[in-house]
Amino acid sequence: MRIRRWSLLVLLISILLVLAACRGDDKIKSKEAAKEQTTEDLFDVSVSNKGEPIKGGTLQVAIVKDEPFKGVFSWELYEDGYDANIMSWASNSIFEVDGDFLITDEGIASMDVDQKNKKVTIKIRDGVKWSDGEPLKIEDVILPYLIIGHPSYTGVRHDSSFQNIVGAEEYHSGKAKTISGIKKIDDETLEISFKQLSPAIYSGGDGLWTYAAPSHQIADIPIDQLIESDEVRKNPVTLGPFKFKKIVPGESVQFVKNEYYWKGKPKLDGVVIKIVPSSSISVAIGSGNYDLVMGFNATKMPEIENYNNINVLGRPELYYSYLGFKVGKYNYEAKKVETNMNGSKMGNKKLRQAMGYALDIEQVSEVFYHNLRTRANSLIPPAFASFYDKSLKGYYYDPEKAKSLLDDAGYVDVNGDGLREDPNGKKLEIKLAALSGDSAQEEIIAYYIQNWKDIGLNVTLTSDRLIEFNSFYDRVRADDPEIDIFMGAWGTGTNPSPAGLFGATDQYNFTRYTSKSLETTIKNIDSAKSFDKKYRAQQFRAFQQHLEDVATMIPMQFRYEIYPVNKRVKNYSIDYSNPTELHEIELVAEEPIASK
Amino acid sequence: MWKTIVRRFLLMIPQLFVLSILIFILAKFMPGDPFTGLITPETDPSRIEELTEKAGLNDPWHIQYVRWIARAVQGDFGMSYTFKRDVASLIGERALNTFWLSFLSVILLYAIAIPLGILAGRYHNSRLDKTVIFYSFFTYAIPTFVLSLVFLYIFGYKLEWFPTSGSVDIKYEPGTLGYIWSKGYHIILPAITYAILGTTGVIQYLRSEIIDTKAMDFVRTARSKGIPTRKVYSKHIIRNSLLPIAAFLGFTITGLLGGSIFIETIFGYPGMGQLFVSSISSRDYSVITALVMLYGFLTLLGSLLSDIIMSIVDPRIRIE
Repeated sequence: MRIRRWSLLVLLISILLVLAACRGDDKIKSKEAAKEQTTEDLFDVSVSNKGEPIKGGTLQVAIVKDEPFKGVFSWELYEDGYDANIMSWASNSIFEVDGDFLITDEGIASMDVDQKNKKVTIKIRDGVKWSDGEPLKIEDVILPYLIIGHPSYTGVRHDSSFQNIVGAEEYHSGKAKTISGIKKIDDETLEISFKQLSPAIYSGGDGLWTYAAPSHQIADIPIDQLIESDEVRKNPVTLGPFKFKKIVPGESVQFVKNEYYWKGKPKLDGVVIKIVPSSSISVAIGSGNYDLVMGFNATKMPEIENYNNINVLGRPELYYSYLGFKVGKYNYEAKKVETNMNGSKMGNKKLRQAMGYALDIEQVSEVFYHNLRTRANSLIPPAFASFYDKSLKGYYYDPEKAKSLLDDAGYVDVNGDGLREDPNGKKLEIKLAALSGDSAQEEIIAYYIQNWKDIGLNVTLTSDRLIEFNSFYDRVRADDPEIDIFMGAWGTGTNPSPAGLFGATDQYNFTRYTSKSLETTIKNIDSAKSFDKKYRAQQFRAFQQHLEDVATMIPMQFRYEIYPVNKRVKNYSIDYSNPTELHEIELVAEEPIASK
Repeated sequence: MWKTIVRRFLLMIPQLFVLSILIFILAKFMPGDPFTGLITPETDPSRIEELTEKAGLNDPWHIQYVRWIARAVQGDFGMSYTFKRDVASLIGERALNTFWLSFLSVILLYAIAIPLGILAGRYHNSRLDKTVIFYSFFTYAIPTFVLSLVFLYIFGYKLEWFPTSGSVDIKYEPGTLGYIWSKGYHIILPAITYAILGTTGVIQYLRSEIIDTKAMDFVRTARSKGIPTRKVYSKHIIRNSLLPIAAFLGFTITGLLGGSIFIETIFGYPGMGQLFVSSISSRDYSVITALVMLYGFLTLLGSLLSDIIMSIVDPRIRIE
């Protein structure tokens, strides 16, 4: 009975969602004009509202999420991205970055890179204080390394790049009491020695840690108890413009201004962050309950389009989705990628290219995502302005080209059933693994399969259905023979380096494609020579071109993230290169404004 | 009777033991593990392997099981993989939220359903009866999330009578009167929704029992003795008609901790239903097993309670 009720509800939800989706379609189709516009024109990255600012005031922030937040407020220990969203208001970051997410000298600390001796010198500003009034010490910059490297540390951040710090391995295995490569020079200066140094250091890679931890507060807590301690869960001190005042576990966080903030006292009295369910966020925005909304799902854009109490800001996300072709296997014993083009069903380059040209991703982006997703041309998101290759043609919808590519490669229909056979005249069935998601996902995948059918390719779903997240990655990782092609996505983080995802030893190189020239390019990108920005950009270009050419991983979509901002907020910007200084946010009314 | 109760409790031990083995095996059968969700370009696969190994997830299931049960019998259910905290305190926090919400909804549910059921049964086939039947089928047919959203929209956002999400307003200090008031204020709307959706069963049972009992011989006897109708109802009919409701009471009491995923998600109320579903999708083994064991125990306890309640209400039933 319980089960019956559940399945009934699921059914009803799906019907409702489908109906909602249909309504969206009509809307988009009636607005043919919008089609020509690119998303860059659709959104501003910053807004300024007129009005006399009020004194102080509390900013109401909503985070859209259907589950409680986890509440691990430590940069060393958190794993859930929503915790980071909350912490961003009270950040312990010591560096500031430019539009390419590269470290500058503007922050609390500045960094001097000595390529020759593979050393980095970090110097902290004078007079910076924690939110409890304690001065920032160089020990606070050292402490995170001692936490992450510690044998009883249980987070994900102790990885091979962390072990690039001289002495980190010895410390982790318990052989050494401290990390020998980390040296305090004086009260403001720290020197870190690395085994290898690459330009990734400017993106916070190579093992560099870009946050400080309050040693006066947490240094005495055993590392394995840190994550459950009140100092992490209830009253963490910060270097950011706001400090934690109260936390209701899983629901809301109250921040008040940090009087000691190094850039000056914040103009707001405080910030309240609340988790708001996705089902009611649009109504909440219209009713003027929130000033700022984080994590708003772009597919809900039509619901808030007509509100006149908000500005909607948008920017490209650090994300791409892709179509991957399995062209080899990962040898888990030797820990290396074994590409086998000739022995793989997807080994034919023209077949792969044809499959890329066959997909009408443009239509899907328009109808299902209201152009808040766009067809991707590259495997580097456009947000990385200096590395992204705008000139790449990428793959676009061209079924005729796809057909002629297949004809050329010898994939022709021999037996006249409308489906092409492989060059040997044998039946060709391509197995696609795709992630399950909302009901739209089901329709989208069915549409893609139809696209392929239109050019004569027989693509079927692995296990005849969409696959749930855990199972999907288990099977893709294990090179399941039931998977010929798969649709995945990566959030890239702020380090665009392809190392880790495309290298010859990388487990996450899911297509199992590697080649000498690709390997050289990847090495070049993170080589000493690449400290020259121009050279690095050039190597990035070579990487993107190479992958476009071999077509083992065809970029599908880039995504835009949008931020509804209430007209009560005086100035706000989400520009990657020039974001709002949080302490300078001002309000022009006592309460958020409701839509009329 | 005491002997029987003790025996029933002892019998629970092997039952829970079998349940624990079952859930343990089934949980491990699910593809992926708690660390699958951590795959990003920034996480190192070798670190994930190291963590999996450290957590003992690479061991065969029976070894993991023995390790788990040795701790579980001492009351230690381990750490949640996703929440990174003690499972018992995590569940405790959520259980408290869920308990108060369910408690209020059950009270409201009976407050609505019992009078309606009695009236519908007493004035069988009248216009009132038909209205009640219509109401009960209407609320049965309407999906939880639809009614929740409609209520939230009307009473939360349009009329602004009730808060729209969360379990408490952040401005109150825990322990103060304002805090308790705020907690109560936050559960009213979800509790009403939950209660309205659950009334059908009680109304229908009560109504048909009353209609049946009305025709019983002992009622006719009572009437023929000249007892006023009001008294016939309150002394004879209603008491007998409440029996099936009493039979479920045990389950209702222990079911207070079940929670409802829809209500909790829509009202942004951190409770048990959400915890259970999210722990399954994130493969948070320690939370899954602890919750299933808790629910298993509560179900057994509920059936025992129901039996005890029945024996008290209906003297014909004896627990031997």
